[in-house]
Amino acid sequence: MIMSRRWAQGALRLLPLIIVLAAWQAASASGVLPKSLMPSFAAVVLALEGLLYSGELASNTLASFARAGAGFGIAVAVGVSLGILMARVRVVQLAVEPILLLIYPVPKPALIPLFMIWLGIGNFSKIAVIALGCLLPIVVATFNGARSVDTVLLWSARARGTSERRLLWRVVLPASLPQIAAGVRTAIAIAIILLVSSEFISSDAGLGYLIFAYGGVGADDAMLAVVLYLAILGYLLDRLYLLGLRRAMSWHAFAH
Amino acid sequence: MGSAVTRIVPIGLLLLMWEVITRAGWINPFVFPPVSEIAVRWVALLADGTMFRPLMETLWRALLGLAAAIVVGVPLGLLMGRVRWAEWFFEPLFSFAFPLPKIALIPLYVNWFGLFSFSKVMLIFTDCLFPIVLFTYHGARGMSRVYEWSALARGTGRLRLLWRVVLPMSLASIYDGVQVAVVVAVLVAVVTEMVSGGGGLGTMMIRAYRYGDVRTAFAALVTISLIGYLLYRAAQLLRARLLFWHVADAQP
Repeated sequence: MIMSRRWAQGALRLLPLIIVLAAWQAASASGVLPKSLMPSFAAVVLALEGLLYSGELASNTLASFARAGAGFGIAVAVGVSLGILMARVRVVQLAVEPILLLIYPVPKPALIPLFMIWLGIGNFSKIAVIALGCLLPIVVATFNGARSVDTVLLWSARARGTSERRLLWRVVLPASLPQIAAGVRTAIAIAIILLVSSEFISSDAGLGYLIFAYGGVGADDAMLAVVLYLAILGYLLDRLYLLGLRRAMSWHAFAH
Repeated sequence: MGSAVTRIVPIGLLLLMWEVITRAGWINPFVFPPVSEIAVRWVALLADGTMFRPLMETLWRALLGLAAAIVVGVPLGLLMGRVRWAEWFFEPLFSFAFPLPKIALIPLYVNWFGLFSFSKVMLIFTDCLFPIVLFTYHGARGMSRVYEWSALARGTGRLRLLWRVVLPMSLASIYDGVQVAVVVAVLVAVVTEMVSGGGGLGTMMIRAYRYGDVRTAFAALVTISLIGYLLYRAAQLLRARLLFWHVADAQP
């Protein structure tokens, strides 16, 4: 009963999207929207099917995911440890804070040309830009989370003789997880933006490259198919992350 | 005042360290120049006017796109917050598309609006529209009904209600959206200029990359960051001026 109502609500939210897509298809079919301006929705779906079957999408998704994943992984590992250390060790905070303040107002895609000078136009410069761009929200979120850990938790752990190092790992980190999770979610969005922009600027593989290459030769249906695919992928990634988070964090006070 | 000093001193120390390390020759100065040389280049590029045109191009594109997004986005957001069918239709569309990377549309926009400024401004407009519409919508929706009732009780008409009560009460939230959008506008302007040329600071950076001119690339980066930061600060100051009366902004 409740299940079917939730389904109905989901369908109702999906309806506007379906209306827009249907209007697009109708406009193309009736000739109101000329093919030179925009291919029909059906043509885009067909192109997407073709790209999926030819394996072109799979190989380029892999190339993009390897880049974004590497940069993102570095950012999570470095960002979380740095954020916790900053919150607990005064010297680290004093050393790292000015660096963060200096990098914070820089629009991260603007770093792409500099990193291309330093690390070349290959994978390294892209991974480095993604890592740096994702690092900031994660460090700041972790720092804020770790700083505001309930002192009662710390006292009770210390009273039971927990060592300082163990305290970081067993108390401070778990207690700051909600903030870290929010920072990581921001970082996922940033990673996708940086991935696409860096692949637009210089690349020979990846989803950004594919969009740019098809756009450049006027294959608009294939270009839009990749854009659509990227949109769905990004959406699913975000949903999956939230779902996994809800499961993993069910023990935490904030989830209740 | 004290907090400003405690912020500036560590940054000064950091820049000093940067200078010392690069001067000591531990890093190839061609790859990573001393900060003083970047500063000298920045001043030189400003003084001889080389930086001025790209700066103005990036700035007017970003501001025009942002302004268009405000003009379209605020009424649309208010409509969504007040009219059921508009909420039903637009809210899922905007919520779904908000987190998607709009810069992926650059090639499509170049097809539609050409290679020059128009396609860039349109993409900035598109990207800025989302935060402005969604923040306006949430502001108009979350408004306390008490204000509405008291205005209606005094015989205020529907349109006048929108203009005199709903819009002012949503302003704090609208402003949050504008502050997000300011940063987005500069970012998208620079990315479109890097990807499809046409002048501006983004193109300047890509050109510097091609010549391997790290100093000019750094100088352009400094200008881009300054524009973003100053626009953000300007929006903040304007907010303090305009919204001092608002409940959400009132000093405790």
